Amino acid sequence: MITVFNLCKSYDSIEALKGISFDIQKGEFYGLLGPNGAGKTTTISILSTILKPDQGEVTIAGFDLQKNPMECKKHIGVVPQELALYNDLTAYANLQFWGSLYDISATTLNTRIDETLHLFGLYDRRNDKVKTYSGGMKRRINIASALLHRPDVLFMDEPTVGIDPQSRNLIFEVMEKLHKEGMTIVYTTHYMEEAERLCNRIGIIDKGRIIAQGTLDELKSSSDIDETIMITFSNLTDTHYDRLAESFDVSKAGDHAIRFISKAVQRDLSVIILKCHEAGLDITDVSIQKINLETIFLRLTGKQLRD
Amino acid sequence: MIRLAIKDLRLFASDRRAIILSFVVPIALVTLFAFAFGGVGQKKGESRPATIVIADEDKSEASINVIAKLDSLKELEVYQTTRDSAEAMVKKGDETAVLVFHKGFADSVNAGTKLPVEFEYDASKEAEVGILQGSLIGNLMGIIGGKSMAKEAIANFDKENPSIEEDSRKRIHEQITQNFSSGETKKQSASFITSTPLIAEKQNSPGLIHAVAGTSVMMLLFSVVGMGVSLLDEKEQGTLKKLLYSPIRPDTILFGKMLYVNLISIFQLVIMFIFAKLAFGLDIMPHLTSLILMIIATAYACSSFGVLLASIAKSRQQVQAFSTLIVMIMSCIGGSMIPSFAMPVFMQKMSVFSVNYWSIQGFYDIFWRMLPLQDSTFLSRLVVLVLIGTTLNIIALIMFRRNILKIA
Repeated sequence: MITVFNLCKSYDSIEALKGISFDIQKGEFYGLLGPNGAGKTTTISILSTILKPDQGEVTIAGFDLQKNPMECKKHIGVVPQELALYNDLTAYANLQFWGSLYDISATTLNTRIDETLHLFGLYDRRNDKVKTYSGGMKRRINIASALLHRPDVLFMDEPTVGIDPQSRNLIFEVMEKLHKEGMTIVYTTHYMEEAERLCNRIGIIDKGRIIAQGTLDELKSSSDIDETIMITFSNLTDTHYDRLAESFDVSKAGDHAIRFISKAVQRDLSVIILKCHEAGLDITDVSIQKINLETIFLRLTGKQLRD
Repeated sequence: MIRLAIKDLRLFASDRRAIILSFVVPIALVTLFAFAFGGVGQKKGESRPATIVIADEDKSEASINVIAKLDSLKELEVYQTTRDSAEAMVKKGDETAVLVFHKGFADSVNAGTKLPVEFEYDASKEAEVGILQGSLIGNLMGIIGGKSMAKEAIANFDKENPSIEEDSRKRIHEQITQNFSSGETKKQSASFITSTPLIAEKQNSPGLIHAVAGTSVMMLLFSVVGMGVSLLDEKEQGTLKKLLYSPIRPDTILFGKMLYVNLISIFQLVIMFIFAKLAFGLDIMPHLTSLILMIIATAYACSSFGVLLASIAKSRQQVQAFSTLIVMIMSCIGGSMIPSFAMPVFMQKMSVFSVNYWSIQGFYDIFWRMLPLQDSTFLSRLVVLVLIGTTLNIIALIMFRRNILKIA
């Protein structure tokens, strides 16, 4: 459904994308993860046709993005991170406007608006102005407005930022339903649990390059770590950290904790604790974490996703 | 308390928009109004010359001499042409009045009878007509009633009557001299020349036309700025970016905005003129087609200005800072605040750069000068407004592509 080959983009002297390539198959739920400034938004902006790449080739639904952007636009839906709605119009009027930009008959559009409002649990509030909606409701309408033309590909740029758990769950359920119906979804998020729950394939992007790609299981199996040991201290200093870093594969987890990466926790745990005591550190908590997307991401980028 | 004030002063100093609104805009407007109303730019005691168009149908030595003497006066700027051409200029609003020296002027001077001089004027320019009338009558009295004219009349008399007796000649010379300098003649100054309004008084008073046209255009300019700014709101709210995701051409977004601003502008002007008819009796019905065309052209030119400002500016605040200044300047030099003929000459010349000028003159053409739709003057005003609109729209489109679309 989407092929990206050697995509490059620079802003003045800053190389935002350094020749990334990937394919997304029809019906995939693809998560694009990366720390801030990694190139996620640039990639999504190019794929959603509002930014021209310096180099590279992109096809969406069989259409060359550079040669035929209008055809590509007809096959994509975009849910931007910011709430792009007309607050002084009702939800229904908003959906009617955004839907009317596509080649849909008025009758079909009205039917789809009703369906979509039901889907997102907003039918009863359809005639209320959007400015009277809660943040979560606005997010739902924001997503709904991108679905009216039944796109083949849906780009979602952090669509759940700052919303209540109820709205988030509803959005997840809708996304899962759309995915089951065969829609291809490209999803960027800062929340690992979202990516783990929703995405069946994940690309990790850092410093303008795709550094890892695959299903969650593939990413886990390709990683050289099994588990992490998180130890919290009451008297942690940079000197302590540097000393431990000489002996172990570590990363900081806040001001008071260190994450130790291990391939054999049973063997390593006692050695780590002994070294901590020798360094004069006062341990307040020890926890062992199974490998997950967060630890893989940290291992690959050296950063937490929210950095 | 002092710390709070200092903090606010620091914030104020770092806010360029606040500084512009607080100091630059008022200074610019004070300067402009000083030129327009306060006679700034003129030397003390000096007044700008009033322009009078003269049609000399007599073409006698006497009429040529009088015209030459009028031309030599500092307070008058004389322009000669044929009567038809001069009257056309007044009817089209290009000139205020024409002074016609009819055939027989020289004979009347010699005979000391009422002079066949006619002052034809545009009554809509009341103030300027008054100034011209006063200046002309006074100066003509001085010239024609002066010693030089008396001498000329005596010489003419002697030339035509060489065989008259010396005693009679002296008496007649004294009579001629007396005629040209008598207080009686001066008392009759009101009837010294004939004054005729070239454009007859009509139901629509020039004051009403000016109030409706001038104010409507000025307020429309303020409105279109607000409407144009919605383009920047779309950018700030993210809806512009979302529009770019859809399968419409980016330029279509701007064209849609232009259409919206145009429609509201037309509606606003229509409402203003309907109100003027209902509230003040402005007679719009006989000129409906011309009025509709002028409203559309005005709305087109004004809306393009609003859209242009929004395309150039990077934020709503930037537009607000500059739009007030620009609209006030355009309204002042364009004649929305005071009629352009009452402004200094250099400001009158500048007025052609203002949408207000072309629009107000167009409405004068319709309601005061009663120019037919096919009249070249009226059509030229429509064409200028459309050209202004098109030029500004093209620039707006270029700036929109350059500024607004760079959002990704």
